[in-house]
Amino acid sequence: MSGVAAADVPGAAVAAAPDLSTRVGPLRLRNPILTASGTFGYGLEFAERADLRRLGGLVTKGLSLEPLAGNPPVRIAETRGGMLNSIGLQNIGVDRFLGDVLPGLKDLPPKVIVNLFGYARDDYVRLAERVDPHEGVAAVELNVSCPNVSKGGIEFGHDPEILSGLVRRVRSATGKPIVVKLSPNVTSPQALGEAAKAGGADVLSAVNTFVGMAIDTATRRPVLSTVRGGLSGPAIKPLALRIVFDVARAVDLPVIGIGGIETVDDVLEFLLAGASAVQVGTALFRDPRTAERLVDGLRERMEAESIPSIGSLIGAAARPE
Amino acid sequence: MPRRGRDRVVAHFAETGGPARASLAGRCYPRRAMAAVDSRGEVLDVQALPLPYFLLRVRVAGMAAAAPGQFVMVAGADRPEPYLRRAFSVYDQEAAADGSLVISLLGKVIGRGTAALAACVPGERIPVLGPLGTGFHSVERGGPGIGRAALVAGGIGSAGLGLLAQALERAGRPFDFFYGGRSAEDLVEAETFRRLSESAAGRLIATTEDGSAGERGLITAPLEAALGNRDAGYTTVCTCGPHGLMAAVARIAAAGGVGGEAATETPMGCGYGACLGCAVTLSDGGYALCCRQGPVFGLDEVAW
Repeated sequence: MSGVAAADVPGAAVAAAPDLSTRVGPLRLRNPILTASGTFGYGLEFAERADLRRLGGLVTKGLSLEPLAGNPPVRIAETRGGMLNSIGLQNIGVDRFLGDVLPGLKDLPPKVIVNLFGYARDDYVRLAERVDPHEGVAAVELNVSCPNVSKGGIEFGHDPEILSGLVRRVRSATGKPIVVKLSPNVTSPQALGEAAKAGGADVLSAVNTFVGMAIDTATRRPVLSTVRGGLSGPAIKPLALRIVFDVARAVDLPVIGIGGIETVDDVLEFLLAGASAVQVGTALFRDPRTAERLVDGLRERMEAESIPSIGSLIGAAARPE
Repeated sequence: MPRRGRDRVVAHFAETGGPARASLAGRCYPRRAMAAVDSRGEVLDVQALPLPYFLLRVRVAGMAAAAPGQFVMVAGADRPEPYLRRAFSVYDQEAAADGSLVISLLGKVIGRGTAALAACVPGERIPVLGPLGTGFHSVERGGPGIGRAALVAGGIGSAGLGLLAQALERAGRPFDFFYGGRSAEDLVEAETFRRLSESAAGRLIATTEDGSAGERGLITAPLEAALGNRDAGYTTVCTCGPHGLMAAVARIAAAGGVGGEAATETPMGCGYGACLGCAVTLSDGGYALCCRQGPVFGLDEVAW
């Protein structure tokens, strides 16, 4: 640093390199771009498709105690500006992840957040206990809002009392930071966010997919085998942004924004709405390098607009003028 | 990147494909994911075939040649809609002098994605990810003189058999090409497959439902007759087409005591194994990913 402010040097842009790092509660991320659960596998499989070292963090596919085969086809349907999915939480199981995958991930720069999913409250507790001793895990994200399992986590994410009880139990099982992923399919996501905080959550992520459906006009039947599925992609961005804005203002916890993020402007909007970081999901299906491009694009934008830090953006849209 | 951890994961996916793949454990998958490029290809031309068919030629730098049955994910250039790329079999390919690969995609306009591709103009640069998936094993399994193959295409399914027919012809393996469609224009590449099969000591057998080309009827009729004749010496059946056709082919092949493979198709999100959306139900009740363990499966592996 020269000690000379940029403004003192006419015609020269001597701005310091922008600081992309961000603090999300107890998590310190080198940049605010993460990959969303269920859109990037367990990270390593796609090392040829994307440079995951560049990410701020990655969230694993939802892990359950036992491996799950997932739902029967048809599992996805493209819609205007996005897609419906009903994968059914197909995954290799938590033990296989911890034994086979985590060793290859833990020394990489991105923080590893393990997404956990259970059918019963005890499942979440046991999952948290399994993950707890592993240093390579930076945090757990509780999937309490998946719309695609019949007796699944969705009930936990829809009832404030049940949710706070669940988080409290998980809190007693692990010292890892707890991220609770909120469902958009409720009247007041803020109320669920408050409940998660009361249970001891450190961070909220918002939002999971919106429940939707598609019908094949030729067969006159629902497209998805499970009839309903989760809508993701650019189509949900304004809806997700509104929820992030409301939750960030209402609940005194850091928020990770999720929902149709694909461009640098999308990232900025979520940060301005109050998110401390974002997760990129469906856009990775369209282009596996979306997340790393956003890291570059965000840095360029911050340089071009002399934005010194991510922190200066967070929640700016909610502040009075 | 620590190689060991990563290799173990790749091997895990290559060998088992996840938890529900026990029945395919004996198959010969590549030890690691096939190197695929994700780049921009240059549209060379879009050849208008009888409507609604088209042949799109794209030059892709650094792309490895596709094995028969492999596919690419492509989309129209910088169009926001449709959102996801589309899976296309590599129908034909040619190494260009500059080291790039020119791939030909045989398409049929059925929706927004295929319409966008048919509307490409020469010089346009479009995203291409590939080659992807696991192709036909028929060529490596049978050497010259081992037996006769029956290739069975339904309409645009012929796109999935183009490289296979070429490979069999090159390997000196005899095959007959069974080509079925609703009407004459659905047999869009009949002359190509006639030439290849005749060069491989075989012939083209064509049927249309309206009788406008070949015999009137379904292609399964001549196939059933051919496989029922043990003297004909068929040892393999390879098929690509509508689900109903491939299911019928699987039944006919089993009845004739002949094994084979099918290039399947499902809705796909990403094409590279991330979204887990392209499940194919296996005969043991488990699921496999069309994009990674497939798109080519043994006829007896799939729950038709």
